[in-house]
Amino acid sequence: MASFSFGSLLILSAIFRFVLILYGEWQDANMEVRYTDVDYIVFSDAASLMASGKSPYLRSTYRYSPLLAFLLIPNTIFHRCWGKFLFSAADLLVGYFIRTILKKRGVPENLCIGSVMVWLFNPFTFTIGTRGNCEPLVCAMVLKILLCLMNGQLLQAAFWYGLVVHFRIYPIIYALPILLILNQNVFKSGLNPALQKWSKGDETAPQSNLPSRLAHIFNPLFLLRSIMTKERIIFGLISGSIFIFCTVVFYYLYGWEFLHEALLYHLTRTDPRHNFSIYFYHIYLHHEHEFSVVEKLISFLPQLVVQLVLVLSFAQDLPFCWFAQTVAFVAFNKVITAQYFVWFFCLLPLILPWSKMKLKWKGVLSVSIWTGAQLHWLMWGYLLEFKGKNVLIQLWIASILFLAANTTALSLIIHQHKPSTLFVLPETAVDNAKKSKKCK
Amino acid sequence: MESYYEKHESFIDSLFDDFLTRDLPVNICEVLPSDLNTLLSLSIWSRIKGDGSHRQLSSTIKFKIEKSLFHVPTHHCKFIIIERLPSGVFVDPFELEHLLHRAVFSDVAVFGDTHLELPSVLSNISVVEVHKDIGLNILSHNKNLIDFTVDLPLHSRYPRLDESGYVEVRLKAPDLFLQCSIQEKPHNRTCFFRLETDDEEADLTWSIPAGKRSDAGVVSAITFVSALLSSTFSLEPAQEV
Repeated sequence: MASFSFGSLLILSAIFRFVLILYGEWQDANMEVRYTDVDYIVFSDAASLMASGKSPYLRSTYRYSPLLAFLLIPNTIFHRCWGKFLFSAADLLVGYFIRTILKKRGVPENLCIGSVMVWLFNPFTFTIGTRGNCEPLVCAMVLKILLCLMNGQLLQAAFWYGLVVHFRIYPIIYALPILLILNQNVFKSGLNPALQKWSKGDETAPQSNLPSRLAHIFNPLFLLRSIMTKERIIFGLISGSIFIFCTVVFYYLYGWEFLHEALLYHLTRTDPRHNFSIYFYHIYLHHEHEFSVVEKLISFLPQLVVQLVLVLSFAQDLPFCWFAQTVAFVAFNKVITAQYFVWFFCLLPLILPWSKMKLKWKGVLSVSIWTGAQLHWLMWGYLLEFKGKNVLIQLWIASILFLAANTTALSLIIHQHKPSTLFVLPETAVDNAKKSKKCK
Repeated sequence: MESYYEKHESFIDSLFDDFLTRDLPVNICEVLPSDLNTLLSLSIWSRIKGDGSHRQLSSTIKFKIEKSLFHVPTHHCKFIIIERLPSGVFVDPFELEHLLHRAVFSDVAVFGDTHLELPSVLSNISVVEVHKDIGLNILSHNKNLIDFTVDLPLHSRYPRLDESGYVEVRLKAPDLFLQCSIQEKPHNRTCFFRLETDDEEADLTWSIPAGKRSDAGVVSAITFVSALLSSTFSLEPAQEV
């Protein structure tokens, strides 16, 4: 695998994406089913409205930041495929960031290349950018934040974090693990934080267990002394300011429509139409009346508990924590569409070198369970949406099976993961020093 | 001239009928005979093509001038088809705009409820107006048969609950108009006719899968139990770390 240089891999991926964009143009012109994502048409219409000095929110179902419409203005000036090239470039940038992050963490070249290939040649990812979906931009920003944190560039990380939360909201789930990892002993001013290097062995980085971490975090003294550190305050202030700045500017320009479409809609979204979420049929069966606060809380509780436990268990192993959080967030969300899967696909290559899972057979089993459950869902979805058969119950059962598949896959991945803190923690450094003294 | 939606806030069939017959300057033209319907034969064959939630309302229109009008100055006519869509289905105005760019129609407009994502119970009726050019001096050509098909992409909304598992949406025959622009000096004149078909068209029906209220209890209970079980199961390995 090492014989495949990273450069040639990137060139090959770029050519492949270029060909797919050209093919998409052909399919759109000649076939009944379009290759281009329907959202791309929405973005392009919004960009065209913006180019003519109007609000992008005049385009119904445009529910994104005005920044996205701004980035796609060349669609109306140069060529309608501009956005697809932009998203595919971001997709390649994600590949570059994956390699940089893994190299910095001391992962050998052949493992790096293998991991990068999991992103660059994943059918989900190369089709999503070339069909005109904006998620690769979000993935690139998320990985940039991780890279900035690894380089000790706190201000840059905070800037990108504020921007990405404005752009897509869901990365708000990364706020707590980021704040937890901003340890003042790790981020010493003027020095790059020391990164825990990858090792082939089975040794795992020491971490306190979950109950003690819980006791620690809910201890009022800990809250005061440990949480309110300079690094955390700076990160919170900068990222918060960027988010508020974007919100205020776009509220000034586009008013209530911006707030409603780009922010509030995503926070309160309950979609009665079929989607991968287990909640869709429940929502549809109750769509004729408002949901009570208790009902809303009950459906939010599993999501909240899972997020909290994952953060408290894996925050110091930041890439793994983000991956597990994202898989769980998508799986327990009230609305799930296929594009959300890209949110964790971009983090998957970052955890593979630390997995004890062999491709034979647990790896194959995980992939098969997940893909099989999804194909099963798609079959019922096709019968409902394109054949007009009443298979709502079967589709809802398929959603439950898909949740079970997500849970099984996540559980297997956590089981097979060798925990490794992102940074060398002060206590680990002291332990290592003690160990080396004993050896002498 | 005021449009229907400038006069009324919501769509009501009878009010719209009144608007078409009373408020529009139909069948009043100094150059063309007001009884144009007697000089032509017109038939429309509508059907719903495709399966599932995304279909096409296809209308084939056959139009023939039985007695040509030789004395009419140079004129250019277009057909106007007005479809009244019940709340169970909708057209995507942006999709129509793309068809307009590809010259599938000569003009198109959507009025009323154009919210694309609302379920049927929360949405309202919409009206689609499609314009189709039929050419120059068409009324002067004797026995000239004009035959064309208009395919309108329709999408179903999530319907209200129904124990039978399906909800039927009925689509009425469209209202047809002929608009002719007549070249005259010093000003061009536009005449507007409401056309009558030779045969009465039956309503079209579209069965849309619907949820059953009787499923609600079981579905809600199993949904929440699955969420709780899955969250417990996925957290098990995390607690061992």
